[in-house]
Amino acid sequence: METINLTIEEMQKEFAKGALTSVEAVKNCYKRIDAVNPKVKSFLQIRKEKALKAAAESDAKIKAKTGGALEGVPIAIKDNFMIKGEIMSSASKYLENFISPYDADVIEKLKKAGAVFLGRTNMDEFAMGGSTENSAYAKTANPWDLERIPGGSSGGSASAVGSRMAPCALGSDTGGSIRQPAGFCGVVGYKPSYGLISRYGICALASSFDQVGTFSHTVKGTAKIVSVISGKDYRDPVCEPNDYIDYTDGLDNASLKNIVIGVPKQLNEYETDAAIADAYKDALERIKKQGAKIIEVNIPAYKYVPALYKVIMCAEVSANIATFDGIRYGYRSPNGISLNDEYAKSRAESLGYEVKKRILFGTYVLGAKNYYRCYHQAQRVRTLLINQIEEAYKQCDMIFTPASLQMPVKFGESLREESDIFIMAANLAGLPGITVPCAFSPKNAPIGVHFLAKRLDDANLFKAAAAYEKVAGFDNSKLPM
Amino acid sequence: MEKSFMSNEELKNTAFMARLDIKDDKEKEKYLKDLNNMMAYIEVLQEPDISNLKPTTHVTKLRNVWRDDIVKPCPQEVREQILIAAPDKEGSFFKVKKVIEAQ
Repeated sequence: METINLTIEEMQKEFAKGALTSVEAVKNCYKRIDAVNPKVKSFLQIRKEKALKAAAESDAKIKAKTGGALEGVPIAIKDNFMIKGEIMSSASKYLENFISPYDADVIEKLKKAGAVFLGRTNMDEFAMGGSTENSAYAKTANPWDLERIPGGSSGGSASAVGSRMAPCALGSDTGGSIRQPAGFCGVVGYKPSYGLISRYGICALASSFDQVGTFSHTVKGTAKIVSVISGKDYRDPVCEPNDYIDYTDGLDNASLKNIVIGVPKQLNEYETDAAIADAYKDALERIKKQGAKIIEVNIPAYKYVPALYKVIMCAEVSANIATFDGIRYGYRSPNGISLNDEYAKSRAESLGYEVKKRILFGTYVLGAKNYYRCYHQAQRVRTLLINQIEEAYKQCDMIFTPASLQMPVKFGESLREESDIFIMAANLAGLPGITVPCAFSPKNAPIGVHFLAKRLDDANLFKAAAAYEKVAGFDNSKLPM
Repeated sequence: MEKSFMSNEELKNTAFMARLDIKDDKEKEKYLKDLNNMMAYIEVLQEPDISNLKPTTHVTKLRNVWRDDIVKPCPQEVREQILIAAPDKEGSFFKVKKVIEAQ
């Protein structure tokens, strides 16, 4: 059976009917990986033997009708999630040989639900970047145009799902790292409300922004995974104490009727690629036709987003990366002549330039002399942004924008800094956001739109996105390569 | 107020605070250029009127997270796994260079 085009839901239906086994589905993923991965380079490592063994166990459970919520479903995992006994490198030389001593909370939850891990996917080193070019190991390509970036930092996961090597994947999102590459690769990418999903066992970037999220081909598939991986975990102190919530509830009949959609006035202030502007306009029309009310919202503080993000993220990076000292795990330089020298050389020799630059900037903005003017000031401007977004939510239910204002660029070129500010605001304010593919550009590159909801309103976010997905007119059967 | 600027001396201090070795002059120049470009972010953030605003420290509603005060011993297996990852060890300890140096 041909399975690479199946969504998670379709795959599970075939499992239940007995028309398809997990072993077969997993084998097909590896067949596709063998054919496509040498060109796209989404995976840093595959785990075929372990996956096939897990798939066979899942098949037995499916047969006995004792399977979990994702029993037998293949999933790709970004290289910053710990899977016990396996390497997690965060695409850094510092962690090149690091073997995870325990499972991340979401990995524990996925194992219990029966998901089958295909392998670890490429990313920007420690998730620092928006193109996956900062990986210490490989340059991942956009499956729709191999000369262009897949976006990032979760570019490996996004391109793996976009090129149908995996039906779904896990990623992490600190400043759009799931939702931007999802748009570039033509898949659904979701970042939850801050605190909805535990980050225990995930390599931290900026802790007040970081969230775990997903890639898949449908909103319902996304909701399915999120129902499994969300929920309380005392090991991540900001994790909300929720019991099980079924986020797929009500998605089939979801409607946009009477939903108030806010369009930021500030969208007009930034250059937007023509293909994106057209696709976005069309998407708005479709939403309107479904009975949603479109209004303009005013959030002038969007203009501070790049600066806010850089200052606060780098500050948190400098604190988080301080744990990489070459003492307990990771790379230790053989060239150190004292303890301090050993720390300094271990980092200098094993970390990439982008990471080191961020550490230095973060150390600077937290320095006693600069703290008030830099970090403290940024956190106050962050309050300004949050207040303006809250004000906007008094008038609307969701904020709707393109997922990126720019199409993916060629390797070595940079995106305009404002291209992702509308999705980055989600991290600054702790809000849930989802990218849904909406159209193909005239050059056959996918384009995504983005819904941003109120904090902890993830269930309604899924409903709006699912209702839009039905009328988006995006051809999900189109294959890259 | 004076604009933020990263001087040679400042870079040296910052790199020491971050325990990050700077390889050579070429790398130093690159850092100085890039970091001084980034200083523009700090200037942008001085613009808005935020006199009445408190800094955001959390986006969640602050609440206590309680759990029962039960000691959960670290399983031997996890201890072993953790020590396997150590670049240098002796028995069940991480081995490091001398911390206190003779001046």
